[in-house]
Amino acid sequence: MTGLALPAIVLMVVVNAYPVVFAGIQAVHDGDLLGLGNFVGFANFQDALTDPLFWRSARFTVIFSLCGVFGSWMIGFALALMLKPSFPGKNLFKILLLLPWIVPIVVSSMSWNWLTATPGSLLPMLAADLGFGRVMFLADPTMAMITVCIFKIWISYPFMMMMMSAALEGIEPNVNEAARVDGANARQRLRYIVLPMTARSTYISWILMAMFSVNDFATIFLLTGGGPVNSTTSLIVLAYRSVFQDFRPGFGVAISFLMTAALVTMSVILLRQMRKANMQ
Amino acid sequence: MDDTIASRLKMTRRSFLGTSAAAAATVALGQNAAFAAEEIKFWDMVWGTGASYTAAARELVGSYQPAGDNLGVRYQSIPWANWYQTFTSAAASRTTPAVSSGAAFLPFYFIEKGVIAPADDLIASIDKAGTNDFLPGVLDAMKTDLGYAAMPWSMDLRVIWVRKSLLEKAGVEAPTDWQSFIKVGEALKKIDVVGLGLAGGSTTTDGQHTVSALLINNGGGLFAKDGTLDCVNDRNIETLDFLNELVRKGIIDPYAASYTSDNVTRDWLSGRIGMGFGQTGLDKNFPAEQQPDLAVISPIKSPRGDTGTVYYINPLMMFKTTASQASSEAFLGWYLDNMKIFWEKGVAIDVPVRKSIADLPILKQNANLQKSIAEWQPIGKTIGAQAPHPFGALNAVDGGGAGAAFIQQIIEGKTGSKQILETLQAALEKIVK
Repeated sequence: MTGLALPAIVLMVVVNAYPVVFAGIQAVHDGDLLGLGNFVGFANFQDALTDPLFWRSARFTVIFSLCGVFGSWMIGFALALMLKPSFPGKNLFKILLLLPWIVPIVVSSMSWNWLTATPGSLLPMLAADLGFGRVMFLADPTMAMITVCIFKIWISYPFMMMMMSAALEGIEPNVNEAARVDGANARQRLRYIVLPMTARSTYISWILMAMFSVNDFATIFLLTGGGPVNSTTSLIVLAYRSVFQDFRPGFGVAISFLMTAALVTMSVILLRQMRKANMQ
Repeated sequence: MDDTIASRLKMTRRSFLGTSAAAAATVALGQNAAFAAEEIKFWDMVWGTGASYTAAARELVGSYQPAGDNLGVRYQSIPWANWYQTFTSAAASRTTPAVSSGAAFLPFYFIEKGVIAPADDLIASIDKAGTNDFLPGVLDAMKTDLGYAAMPWSMDLRVIWVRKSLLEKAGVEAPTDWQSFIKVGEALKKIDVVGLGLAGGSTTTDGQHTVSALLINNGGGLFAKDGTLDCVNDRNIETLDFLNELVRKGIIDPYAASYTSDNVTRDWLSGRIGMGFGQTGLDKNFPAEQQPDLAVISPIKSPRGDTGTVYYINPLMMFKTTASQASSEAFLGWYLDNMKIFWEKGVAIDVPVRKSIADLPILKQNANLQKSIAEWQPIGKTIGAQAPHPFGALNAVDGGGAGAAFIQQIIEGKTGSKQILETLQAALEKIVK
């Protein structure tokens, strides 16, 4: 039987283990993409942890991920609750709401660039007409951070909506009905019935979205490239730039390992929460 | 499971895997051997007008008839997306082509790594044949301590363009120096037109090219004459002070900090930009009826009386992985002698680097191109200025994150010139070793 598993083991080693081991070797060397260079021990990790840009990127990664997870969850959950009862055109409405998730990110980011980048774009003109003056959605560092986070929520809420719709379907109608008969109002039913009974799906969706957000390169890079002045540089963008633009693969890979460690820690914490929710 | 059957199955699987591997290796080796014996590969980036350029280049290479024992050539178009990964992974796995075009500083990196062959022999043969008509300084710009890194075939030269109708509307003449540039910019600003159009976003190098051009214009640059990093010098500080004045007076658009190349092109087309640095083929982006409205002006003088701009020489390099170095050189020599067809067909938008091409009747009629060649090309330098010659690390300087943040800080206008340059110096020290 061991023999039967051999091809799968070989495949797993080749596909997963080899790149990880090679990346680990790169992380302790100072070479470029053509050669490993010299062994430098943990200097790349030390450089990363003492680089102000790393911490600035880490801070933005946290903000971006929190917005991505909770912003999209709140909207997705609200829409899932709204879409639970039947009404005419519900399916069409659902499909329309899924569009941000379905449309390729390249197309979405170009549309958002068209909407926001120049003074003649729709949103800056609208903001000026509404008396907000000159709003630079992508050129001002703070506004760029806000815009990127909103963009992330916009492309992510359909995923949350689907997850939470599935979770809501799992609640027996008679549970809600019994609560209603017992005099529970809508807020109480949400607080004491819906939220606890969807907690497992909620935690899973948070874990998944947190991973998607931390590793989300395309959303940021296609809209702002990490600028202006590194304000929207996340750790994954910094790692990419270090490897493929600054040609420092050791440094970039070290950042990726640090990200992985943070993600694993966060996932373990959320999984424990999930287990607690199950036990309750 | 029955042991005998299991054993037979195990043997069968092993036999199958072994036979498959042997067959695959035989086919691969056979193909390689057959391929190696017949032709060499030529990789070509998507230059100029894109698809029409590639079609013309494919046709040109298809017409190549090797002389004597030289091998034929197979053309392969290479997209710019992820170009660095494409070339470095090929170099690491020794699957680079025999000859290739590529980004401006790639040959300098590859020659340092011993991946490409110097072009000295080819240049000597061109000299011997009496056909060396490269424009002044172009060949010298390819020279390194290890020999000529590559052959130049065209040049991305940055020149100042103006829209004549907008200057006329603003009631001003084209600037001749930095002071008049500010005055023209102010006049354009009054009619709601940008005086120095540029794209400073993180996914484009357009803004970096503009600022590099101005640093060189003032006799500065990011490197000292001995090749060491030298961002924080008086001339660079003066240039950033000049740029800061342009920002403060609204001559540089604050939105430019996030602009992509498409954004800046759209602004040129819409008439929102009246002046700015651009490639010599900028007018080709415009509809034919608007093209006469665009003009290349003469180089402007900095307060110290200096002139200058930045250029990127598009190279053709010969890899050591070739099946025959003689065939690579024979093909490259032929290609350089026949590439004029790109300008005759109008599919190349960069400046030709050979006088015989620059003198083609169709190019002689292009006043903007002639002005660029006559007045701007001789004062051009690479972003390696003031270093004596380019080097591999410039790949990371051109288009890296440090450069993008540098431009965005300038456009933001909140940080002092010296501090911006110090930040740049610190960032570049990590990547230029």
